[in-house]
Amino acid sequence: MSAQRIRDIVIVGGGTAGWMAAAALAKVMGTQAYTITLVESEAIGTVGVGEATIPMITMFNNVLGIDENEFVRETNATFKLGIEFAGWRREGHSYFHPFGQFGVDMDGVNFNHYWLRWMLSGGSNDYGRFNAETEAARQRRFGRTGHGPQTSLPNINYAFQFDASLYAAYLRRFSEKRGARRIEGQIVKVDRNGQTGLIERLTLKDGQTVQGQLFIDCSGFRGLLIEETLQAGYEDWSHWLPVNRAAAVPCAKVEEPIPYTRSTAREAGWQWRIPLQHRTGNGYVFCDSFISEDEATRLLMSRLDGEAQAEPRILRFVTGRRRKSWVGNCIALGLASGFMEPLESTSIHLVQVGISKLLAMFPKGGFNPLITDRYNAEMEADYVNIRDFLIAHYKVTEREDTPFWRYCKNMDIPDSLATRLEIFRTRGEAMVVQHELFKEQSWFAVLAGQGLMPVDYHPVADLLSEDELKLRLAKIRTGIQDRVSGLPTHQAFLDSCARAPAA
Amino acid sequence: MSRPVRNVVIVGRDAAAWLTALGLKRAFGRQGVNVTVLELPSMVRSADVLVGLPTLEGLHRLLGLDTDDMLAATAGAYALGQQFANWSQARPPFVHAYDTHGAPIHRIDFLQHWLKARSEGMNVPLEEFSLGAAAAKHGRFVVHGDATSGFSKARAGYHLDASAYIRLVRQKAIELGVQRQAGKLGEVVRSDSGIVSVSLAGGEPLAADLFVDASGVDAVLIGKVLEQPLESWSPWFGCDRVLVTSGPKLNPLPAMSRISGFKAGWIGMFPLRDRTPVVAAYDSRRISDAEMLQSASVLCGMRLGDAFVAPCEPGMRSAPWTGNCVAIGEAAVVLEPLDAASLHMIHVGLSHLITLFPVSAEAMLEAEPFNTSMQNHARNLRDFQIVHYRLNGRLDEPFWDRARETPPPPELAAKLDLFAARGAVALYDDETFQEENWASVLIGHGLIPRGYDPQVDTLAPDELIAAFQRMLGFIASTVRDMPSVEAQLELFAPLPSNASF
Repeated sequence: MSAQRIRDIVIVGGGTAGWMAAAALAKVMGTQAYTITLVESEAIGTVGVGEATIPMITMFNNVLGIDENEFVRETNATFKLGIEFAGWRREGHSYFHPFGQFGVDMDGVNFNHYWLRWMLSGGSNDYGRFNAETEAARQRRFGRTGHGPQTSLPNINYAFQFDASLYAAYLRRFSEKRGARRIEGQIVKVDRNGQTGLIERLTLKDGQTVQGQLFIDCSGFRGLLIEETLQAGYEDWSHWLPVNRAAAVPCAKVEEPIPYTRSTAREAGWQWRIPLQHRTGNGYVFCDSFISEDEATRLLMSRLDGEAQAEPRILRFVTGRRRKSWVGNCIALGLASGFMEPLESTSIHLVQVGISKLLAMFPKGGFNPLITDRYNAEMEADYVNIRDFLIAHYKVTEREDTPFWRYCKNMDIPDSLATRLEIFRTRGEAMVVQHELFKEQSWFAVLAGQGLMPVDYHPVADLLSEDELKLRLAKIRTGIQDRVSGLPTHQAFLDSCARAPAA
Repeated sequence: MSRPVRNVVIVGRDAAAWLTALGLKRAFGRQGVNVTVLELPSMVRSADVLVGLPTLEGLHRLLGLDTDDMLAATAGAYALGQQFANWSQARPPFVHAYDTHGAPIHRIDFLQHWLKARSEGMNVPLEEFSLGAAAAKHGRFVVHGDATSGFSKARAGYHLDASAYIRLVRQKAIELGVQRQAGKLGEVVRSDSGIVSVSLAGGEPLAADLFVDASGVDAVLIGKVLEQPLESWSPWFGCDRVLVTSGPKLNPLPAMSRISGFKAGWIGMFPLRDRTPVVAAYDSRRISDAEMLQSASVLCGMRLGDAFVAPCEPGMRSAPWTGNCVAIGEAAVVLEPLDAASLHMIHVGLSHLITLFPVSAEAMLEAEPFNTSMQNHARNLRDFQIVHYRLNGRLDEPFWDRARETPPPPELAAKLDLFAARGAVALYDDETFQEENWASVLIGHGLIPRGYDPQVDTLAPDELIAAFQRMLGFIASTVRDMPSVEAQLELFAPLPSNASF
C-alpha cells in the first residue's frame, strides 16, 4: 500500500464540529506542514439556540490556548455548574446533576457510601448539600477556584452555555488566523481511488475541486462522506431513546442568567432552557409517535418565560451511531458520527473526543487498519456509555402519567444498563470504569435523583463511629458552605469577565 | 409518719406547665405521685421563640429529652452567645459567649493579665481571647478535644421554636402518664392552709396535695387566689412592651443571638433553622406599637411577618411557694426576654421544686428555702439584665439617659464598684452567670477596671506577649477547623427534608 504522506486535510461542513476540528488541527498540527481546508455552504444553516457543554471543554480551550474571558465575551456565554432535572422523577420534583464531587472520599471508599450510611440511619436525603456546585447553583453564584488562599476548600467545576453559531464563528476566526482556508460551496461529487477506496477529491457546484489525503466529515446527520459515500452504516437506538424531533426557539431573557441548564420533563419528551448572556435558548425534544410537531411546537411556545425572538424550527433525527466513525481516510465528527439528544450536553464533548483521539492516533502516512479499528472501538464505547446514561434518565422514573412515560418506564433496556442499575440499588455504586465519561458522582446524582436510592453501601463505611462520621460530614459540609459563600453572584462574575482577560 | 404528697395538680399553660409536669412525673411518678395538668388556653404565638442557656442540656437530661431530637423537632439552632450592638454610640459590638477568656498564666486569671496589658497599650479586645466568642462570630460549633478542653469551656445555648418545643414536652409528659384536662379555669376552693381543689369551667373539682401555678403572668393561683403581690422592678428597666415577630431564615445561619439597642429599647434576632424570630422590648411612651413594628423591619433589615404585642412588667413574688402552692415561671418571676432569662427561671424553679419536693402533704417546710433561693436567683439574673441598661452609652437619648442615671440595686452597685476597682467579680449565692459571663458583659459595655491584681506584675512583658500570641493563634486555627453550626445541626439534628433542587 502506498504510504502517501498526509499533507492536505479537508473538513466538510462548517458547524460547531467542523470549526472545532479546524481550530484544533490548525493549532496542534499547524498549517506549515499541512493545509487545512474547510468547505461549507451558507445555504445550510446552523441551529444557534444555545448549546450547553460539560467541563471537558475547558481542556479543549486550553489546547487551543484561548483566553476564557475572551471566549465568554465572544460567544455570549454563561457559566454552567450542572443541569437541573425538573419533573423527571415525578411532577413537582427536581434534582441537580452537578459537575463536581460529592463530599470527600475517605479510606479509599467513595463518599457516597458514607453519606448513604448517614441517610439510611435517619439523615436528610438532600445529597446536594454535600456538593459545592449544587449549592452554588441554588444560590446562583459562580467563581473560578483553585487560586488564592482557600485552596483547601472544594473546587468549583464548570462548563459553558453559549451561542453555538457565535462559537463556530469565533473558532472560524481562530482557525483562519492560523492559516486554515475556508471555501464556500456545495459539494456535488466525491471521487474515490479505484484501488484503495480512499477519498481523493471533492467537486463543488461551481466546478472547483478540493484534493486531500485526509477527510473529516462534519456534514451533519446526513453523513455526506461517511454514509452517502462510504456507507458506514447506522445503528438505530430509538427503541431505547425514542425522542426524534426537537422544536427550538430563542426567547428574551427575563432575569439574570442562572449558572445551569434546566431540563424539564414534558408529556412526550423534555424541554431545555439554556440561559445565555443576552437571551435564553429553548427547545422541546419529543417523539413524534406521541405528539405531533405542531402540538409540540405550540406547547413549547406557550411555555417560554420570555418573548420568542424567532420562528420555532424543527429538527429531525434518529438516535443512534454510525457503525464506524473512521473509514479509510475519512473520520466523521459530530452528528455525522451519531446523534444523541442533548440531555446531558454531550454533543460538543463527543466532537472533542473524536478530535482528541484523532490527534492522538494521527496517521503519518497511510492508514493502519489496526489504528482505525482501535479508534472505532473507543468511540463505540464512549457512545454506548453515554447512551446507557441517557436511557437511565427515562427508565428510572415514577412517571407513568402519559403514554410516552409509560413506554419509557416499561421498556426493555440494554443488559449493560440493567446490570448497573441492580448493582447500584444493592450497594450504592455504579461500578464505573476508568475511561467512562460519567463517573460515580454523575450516576449517583442522576439515579438517586430519578428515585433509585440504594438500600445498602460499602462495609468500610461502617468502620467509623457514628459521632466521628457525623463530625466528618459536618466538616465537609462546612467546607462547601465556606466555598460557596465566598463566591460572587453569577452575574457579577460575568460582569468581571466582560472587563478583563482571565487571570 | 405524716401523709406524703400523692397528687399534684398543675394549673397553667405552655412551657412552664409542661416542663413541670414532665419533670415531676419523671422524678416522682414511680413513687406513686400522680400529676395532672389543667391546661389553660395557650398564650404562645406562632412567632414565639424560647432561648435556652447551655445549662438547658442538664434539664433535658433530667427530663429524658435527647438534645438532638429536641433540636430536630423545633427547627432549633445553637447559640454560642449573644452579640450586643448599638448599646453605645462609641463602642463596637461585643459578644457575650458562654465561655471563659484565655487561659490562666501562672495560675492567675487571664483577665488580670489582659487588664495589665491593656493598661500598657495593648488594644486586642477581651473577646478575641475567647474560643466561644470566635466560634460565635464565625458561625462555628465548638467540638471539644484534648487541645480545647483545658483552654475553653465553650458551650452552646439554644434557640427553639416555642410552639414546637411545648408540643414535644407535652407529648413526652403525656406518654409518661401525666393526666391532662384542658379548658378555662373555673372555681378554686381554698382553706386556711392553702388550696383544696381547682376545677375547669364546667368541670369536676380536682383536689390535690400540691398545686403548681404555671399560668404565666396571669398568676391565677399565686396572685389571684393567694394574693401574693408582684414586686415591680420596672424602674430599672424602662420597657413596658414586648413585640414578637418573625423574618425569613438567615443564610448562613448565625451561631448567636443578636441584640441591638435603639432609641426606645432593644431588638433581638434569635435565628432558627427555618425562620428568624425577632423580639423587641420598648417603652410605649416613646414609640407606638405601630411605629415599633415599622422600625423592627428596618432595624433587622428584613421583611417581617405577623407581629404580636404584649405588656411586660418585670418583677417577682417574694413567696412563690405559699402554703401548698408553688409558682413556676412567670407566675413567680417576670424578667425581660433577654439573656435567656424566661426559660432559665422555669428551669431553676423546677429543679428546686424537685430537690425540695415536699416530704409531707401537711406541713411544707420546704417553702422557705425554696423562696430564698428563688429570690436570689431572680435578683441576680435581674441585676445581670440591669447591667445592659445601667452601662449603656447612648448619650442624649431620653430613654437611655434615664436608664443610665437610675441607681442600681445595692447588691449590683457593690458588684460594679468592685469590678471597676480591680476586675474582680463578686459572686453571690445562686448566680445564673459566672465570673466570665459578668466580666464579658461588664467589659463589653465599657466598664474597664481601673486596677488589676498586683501579682501579675511578676510576669515579664515578653512572656506575656508570647502567651497572648499563642492563644490568639490557637483560637484562629481551631476555629478554622470547626464545623459550622448549620452543618453540625444538619448532621446531628437533621430537619425532615423532601430533597428537591
